[in-house]
Amino acid sequence: MSRESILERCRRNVKEQYPMPVLDDIKALEYDDPWGSFLEMSRSMGCNVLEYGEGESLDDVIRKAYPDAVDICSNVEGVTIANMNPDTLLNPSALNGVDVGVVQGVFGVAENGCVWVPQTMKNKAVCFISENLVILVPKGQAVSNMHQAYKKIAFNDYGYGAFISGPSKTADIAQVLVMGAQAARSVTIVVTE
Amino acid sequence: MSTSHTKAAEEFLKKETYARWHDNTFWGVRIKRDKMAHGLPEWEQLREKASEIKRHTLTHLDHYAAKFADNAEKNGVVVHWAEDAAEFNSIVYDILKSHDVKKLVKSKSMLTEECDMNPYLEERGIDVVETDLGERIIQLNHQKPSHIVMPAIHLDHHDVGALFEKVLQTEKDNHDPTYLTYMARLSLRNEFLTAQAGMTGANFGIAETGDIVVCTNEGNADMSTSCPPLHIAAIGLEKIIPDYDSLAVFHRLLARSATGQPTTVFTSHFRKARPGADKMHIIIVDNGRSEWLADEKHWETLKCMRCGACMNTCPVYRLSGGYSYSYFIPGPLGINLGMLRDPQKYSGNVSACTLCLSCQNVCPAKVNLGDQIYKWRQQLDSFGTANKEKKMICKAMKMVLDSPSVYNAATSSLSIVNHLSEGLVNCGLNPWAYGHKTMKFPKKPFHKLIDGLEKED
Repeated sequence: MSRESILERCRRNVKEQYPMPVLDDIKALEYDDPWGSFLEMSRSMGCNVLEYGEGESLDDVIRKAYPDAVDICSNVEGVTIANMNPDTLLNPSALNGVDVGVVQGVFGVAENGCVWVPQTMKNKAVCFISENLVILVPKGQAVSNMHQAYKKIAFNDYGYGAFISGPSKTADIAQVLVMGAQAARSVTIVVTE
Repeated sequence: MSTSHTKAAEEFLKKETYARWHDNTFWGVRIKRDKMAHGLPEWEQLREKASEIKRHTLTHLDHYAAKFADNAEKNGVVVHWAEDAAEFNSIVYDILKSHDVKKLVKSKSMLTEECDMNPYLEERGIDVVETDLGERIIQLNHQKPSHIVMPAIHLDHHDVGALFEKVLQTEKDNHDPTYLTYMARLSLRNEFLTAQAGMTGANFGIAETGDIVVCTNEGNADMSTSCPPLHIAAIGLEKIIPDYDSLAVFHRLLARSATGQPTTVFTSHFRKARPGADKMHIIIVDNGRSEWLADEKHWETLKCMRCGACMNTCPVYRLSGGYSYSYFIPGPLGINLGMLRDPQKYSGNVSACTLCLSCQNVCPAKVNLGDQIYKWRQQLDSFGTANKEKKMICKAMKMVLDSPSVYNAATSSLSIVNHLSEGLVNCGLNPWAYGHKTMKFPKKPFHKLIDGLEKED
C-alpha cells in the first residue's frame, strides 16, 4: 500500500523533530469597532452595504438593491420574493442565469471583509452561480481577525462552508481588475436585525 | 558557456517594452504586498509562527498525514495515496473512468502541472477544462504557466483578444479585458454545467478535521464542485497542517503575500460531498516529497505555501520571465524545487540568482530560498554540472590567491589589460565577461594605494 510506504518514509527521513509553536501569544490586530470596520472593509472589497430603511421588509431591501431582478433564489425565511428554492431544485444547472441569490451569513471579519457562509441549502451552487449575491449578516456580528474567526466557525451536516469577501474577480488579462470572473458579479451585504 | 537560463532570458529581453512592463507589474505587486505587510504590526511574528508550524508539521508528517486521511475517511471521503506522478494520474483516470466522465472541469493546481495530468487524461479521451481564467487562456494557447499565481502574465490583452477571436468567436479587435473576461465567463459557464466531474487542488489540508481548503478569487473552485456530481481533490503531502488555529496564521499570510490582497475572495472548506453528489475523493501525492525530507540542506523548501511572492520580488525573474527557467515553476522557488527534483536536468537555473536574498525576506513561511540556491551552487561539481571554464579559472585564481608573491606581481601588472581591446578580454573564454562591461583596472592595486595614503598621514 502506498499509504504505508509514504508514511514510513516520512518517519525514516526526518533527522530532527521540531515542536509545535504556541499560537495564543500572537499579538493580532484588534479593531475598536469590529462591526464598523467590517462594513468599511466590505465596501473596499467591492460590496454594497445596505441596511433596512424605515418600515422596510427584507423583500423591500433586496428589491431596492436589484430592482430589475426577475429570478431570485433563496431558502431564507422572510425572503418571499424568491421564485426559486435551492432546496427543491433537482439539478444545480437550473440555477444558471438566476439574477439574485440570497444566502445567510453568520459573522463578518474586520481585517479582510470576509463573511462566514456555511452551507445551509441543498444546492450550494446558489452562492456562486447567481449573477448577484445578497449575503445577510446580523447586525453587530463581527470579529477583528482570522484567529478569532477560525475559533468561531461551525460546520453543520452539509460539511461545507466558505469565507466570502466581495464579488468574484480576476486580473488574469493584462493585470486589469475585472469584477465577475466565474461567480457573482456583485455582492450586497444586507444588515439584518 | 551560458546557462540555459541566461540564453532564454536573452530572448525575453529582446521584447524590450514588454520586458519593462513585466518588471514594473511584478514590482507593483511587491509594493502592494509591502503595504499589506506593514498594515499588520504582527507580520513578522506571523511569518515566524508559519515557519515554526511548517517545521513541526513536516517533521511529524507521518502523524499528521495519517490523521488527515483518517478524519477525511470518517467524513465519508475516499482517500487515495499516490507515490508518484504516474500513480496519481492513473488513480485520477480510474476514478473518472468508473464514473464514466467525459469532461472534467478543474480549478488551478500546480500539483496537476507537476504530474502532467492533463495530457495523460486527454490521451485517454477525457476533455479537461481549466477554469481559472489565466489557466484557461494558456490552455487554449497551448502553453504552460509562466507564473504560479498569474499563469498568463506573459500575454497582453491583445494576445488574449486575438486568441479569443479565434477560439471563442469574440468580436474582432475588441480586446477590452472586461469584455474578454465576460466572454470567457459565458464559455466557462457552459463547461461547468456540462462536466461530469470537478477537480480542485488544495491550498491546505487540515489534519484535525480532514478538510480541504481552497482559496480563489474567481470562485471557479466552487463552481467546479457545485455543479458536477463528482469532486476529486489533489493535495501535495506538504500541504497538510495541524488545525484551524494554524490555518488562521497561513490564511492571513497567503493572499497578502501573493497579490497584496487582505484575503482571496473565496476561502472554501470542503469536508464531504454535497447532497445528491457522488462520494468525494482526495488524492494525497508524495512524488518525491518524503525523500526530500531527508535532505538536511534543502528540506525546508517544503515549507512553501505557493504564494509566488519570491518570484514577484526577484530581480532576475522580473527581468527574465517565467519561460526562462527550465523547471515548470520559475523564480527562486522553482530553482530550488527543480534541483530537488533532478539536479542534472535543472542545474541551468541556479545561475538565475543575484543572491540579493529579497526572496527569503518576503517569504511568508521563511523559506531560505537564496541561501539554498547558494548551497546548490556549491554542489554543482558533485552533479557534474559545474561550468568548466569557471572551474578552470577558479583553479588559476586559487594559484594566484594562495601565493602573495604571485598575487602582488599579478595585481601590479593588471592595468595592462586596459590597453587590450574589449573584444580580446570578452573573447568568450572568460565566462564572467558575458553581459558585463570590462572594468578599468587601476595602475596601482588597492593595497599599494593604502600604503601611500598611510605614509601621507
